[in-house]
Amino acid sequence: MFRPPANPYYKKISRRRFLQLGGGVATAMGAGSVAVGLNSMIVSRPVYAQSSEDAKWKQFAGSKLVFMSENTPPSFAIRDNLKEFYDLTGIEVEILTDGLPTVQQKIGVDLRGGKADFQLNYVQDKPIGAPFADFYEDLTKYTQDDTLPQDPDGYEADAWFDNFLTACGEYYTPGRIVAFPYDCAVACTFYRQDVYEKLSPDFEAEYGYRMEFTKDTTWKNVHDFAAFCTKVRNDGNKDVPYGYAQHHGTFAWTTQLDIQRMMFAHGRWTEFDVDDRYGSKEPGPTKWGDEQSVLLMEKFKELADVSHPDNLANGTLELNTAYAAGDVAMQVQYHEFAASVEDESNSRAAGGKTAYAVCPKGEQDWIIGDGEAVNGCNCGIGGIGINSAADEKLKKAAYLFASWSVSKSTQLQVLKKLGGTPTRPSVLEEPEVAAARQRPSEMPNALTFDAVYDHGIKDPHFVLGPKIPEANEYHNIILTEVQRCLSGETDPKEACGQIKLQVDDLNEV
Amino acid sequence: MSEAINDAFVSTKAIFRDGGLAIDEPAGAINTPLANRFYFYLMMPAIIVLACITLYPFFWLIFMSLHKVDMGTAGDSWNHFKNWTRLVDDRKFIQGWTLLLKYSALCMLFEVVMGVGLALILNRSRWEKLLVTVFLMPMMMAPVIAGLVWYYLFNSTFGWYHWLMQSVGILGDRSILGDKATAMWGIVMVDVWQWTPLIVLITLAGLKRVPRDQLEANMVDGAGEIRNFFQITLPNLYPFLLIAILLRFMDNFRFIDAILVLTGGGPANSTKILPTYLFDVSFTFFKLGRGAAIALTLLIVTIILGMILVKVFESPTTSKSRTSEE
Repeated sequence: MFRPPANPYYKKISRRRFLQLGGGVATAMGAGSVAVGLNSMIVSRPVYAQSSEDAKWKQFAGSKLVFMSENTPPSFAIRDNLKEFYDLTGIEVEILTDGLPTVQQKIGVDLRGGKADFQLNYVQDKPIGAPFADFYEDLTKYTQDDTLPQDPDGYEADAWFDNFLTACGEYYTPGRIVAFPYDCAVACTFYRQDVYEKLSPDFEAEYGYRMEFTKDTTWKNVHDFAAFCTKVRNDGNKDVPYGYAQHHGTFAWTTQLDIQRMMFAHGRWTEFDVDDRYGSKEPGPTKWGDEQSVLLMEKFKELADVSHPDNLANGTLELNTAYAAGDVAMQVQYHEFAASVEDESNSRAAGGKTAYAVCPKGEQDWIIGDGEAVNGCNCGIGGIGINSAADEKLKKAAYLFASWSVSKSTQLQVLKKLGGTPTRPSVLEEPEVAAARQRPSEMPNALTFDAVYDHGIKDPHFVLGPKIPEANEYHNIILTEVQRCLSGETDPKEACGQIKLQVDDLNEV
Repeated sequence: MSEAINDAFVSTKAIFRDGGLAIDEPAGAINTPLANRFYFYLMMPAIIVLACITLYPFFWLIFMSLHKVDMGTAGDSWNHFKNWTRLVDDRKFIQGWTLLLKYSALCMLFEVVMGVGLALILNRSRWEKLLVTVFLMPMMMAPVIAGLVWYYLFNSTFGWYHWLMQSVGILGDRSILGDKATAMWGIVMVDVWQWTPLIVLITLAGLKRVPRDQLEANMVDGAGEIRNFFQITLPNLYPFLLIAILLRFMDNFRFIDAILVLTGGGPANSTKILPTYLFDVSFTFFKLGRGAAIALTLLIVTIILGMILVKVFESPTTSKSRTSEE
């Protein structure tokens, strides 16, 4: 079977020829390995302003991009739908997801090391955008490029919800856009209306007003609700949930946001005397330690004392779990969590028990001076930005993905699929989304849209900052000193003084 | 040159041919300058690799600790020992050291006491092999996974251990990680759970080498189990325990995965041991110069502690036990 044919034609290969062939194979394999190693084979096709839309989308076919993102619904939904983008562009995208602190660290190493392992980044405004803004490409360069496909809704400020583009895209220098709004987490109040209705008569008998939440409900009212629930619970009614809970878990930023809402609600107090929308690399002395901040720290501690006892361990996720488990009657939470609260298989607060409202308003009596009481609301606007160290063609390919991922159609798809958080108002104009804003809703996050998009993010309620390069260390200082104060290690005045001392040192004031 | 290498190569072949260091070769043959040079050339690749992965980063760390390091943009600038001088006033740095020592001491105490106890129980028991395998399981888990598992167990909403401790009245509604008075105990518990098996393993190895004749002689002299343990078993275990302690001590200075997951150093910095603070400074705040200074202090102290432990290991007490064994 394996014997050679009778008259075989043998061709002897010389040693030189053999070496030539071997060398050729080795060179080809090496080149292939280099191409694979580079993770990107850019087959750029020339495209002109007059070219077809299809040609514009397809011009970087064969490229490979890596997007480092937080583990938020849009990233999961988009990852499931990457084939659509591949069919449209021929560009392969790998989406890596992780918790925000880890994403911040990985992105930081990549950007500050001058690398571009992640050509696309999740630019969460304060923890990632503020410290690394200089490392991102100015996207206006691409929005004005005729050879690239552009979104019909545009990218100007009015194509997004109020302040969103500024929140995640503009740092220190107005007009330089480093990220498009990709998703958002805006604070609003989640409360158990069934518990409120049940306790209201007794509450009214004691406090003289009804236990109900409106846009005029103040932080003092929240304190009253929390104190009443805790008292009832401590009287032996263990089925009554704690009245309120705060966010002070392991991720420092959420604690900073938690106290910031209360501070801003009282006379629009902010940490620095700078334009809050853009922030500053030299913010100057902080206002922490002034009379207003000390008073509000006292109130914050008083509220903590009557809230869920595990405040210091509960981060945002854990707090939401406690709420969904029925341990807490009210939380100021990010609207993206409505989907999990309304999930009847996992939540005792589902099925119409939860109502969504704006964040609590400032108490006029707690404002020193003549400041305005507002519904202090803040957010985390996650943008999508392009690493400026990446190859120029890859940056353009990355722009295609950024543009596609924030388009109306993609956002609508994400909202329907996993409960996304749109950043374009045009999404809300869709009839099915408008219908979902009322119960029964196919898109539970839409139940929060009145509180969030119609009220919370509007001026004068919305606070964007502080955007400073040292944002992460700033958040850490706030977390530590607030926790020390709440645990009784320091008094509010000392805590505010310590914050001022450390923050001014941080900003080299 | 090539002749010299050839000669050395021939003598090396002779050594290997004879199966080890050749007894019949003249003693000087493998120590001639030429032979030494040959061995040096052989070791050169390994030395280069080692220098690249240990010496270069070490000197780079010293360089960074003396500069303001700004990766990517402005470059590094000399900052007049500022990274070092500010450590003196850095409350978190001082507190980090205090907490690290407290954490290490607590972990060590519980791990050694429990590890030795368990090893004594397991030694020569009927189910020794099976039980040792079972006990070793936590050690096989990645520290970050162990951290996550305990994080859920300690959770005040759904954590089983929290429920257990609450049911027996140890805890109230507040979880063990949510109170600065108890959070340290929480992270110690996780470390003890995961690493006591290592002490068990090392101690078991030591127990196998306790001379039976000494034990029997002591029993003939009227010693009971307890006296036997303190007079014979424990002195013989010293070298093993010191190795275990040295290993665990150094681990405690390095492994922060579980702490980062469990508390992130909180609440109110009550679990922010120095390596956790170092991680924050370097990779959350990206102050690499300051981080390098902190890392160097950690490295120096680790080396000193290691040397002290080795000295203790070589002290007459432990030497005596080894000698008696021999």
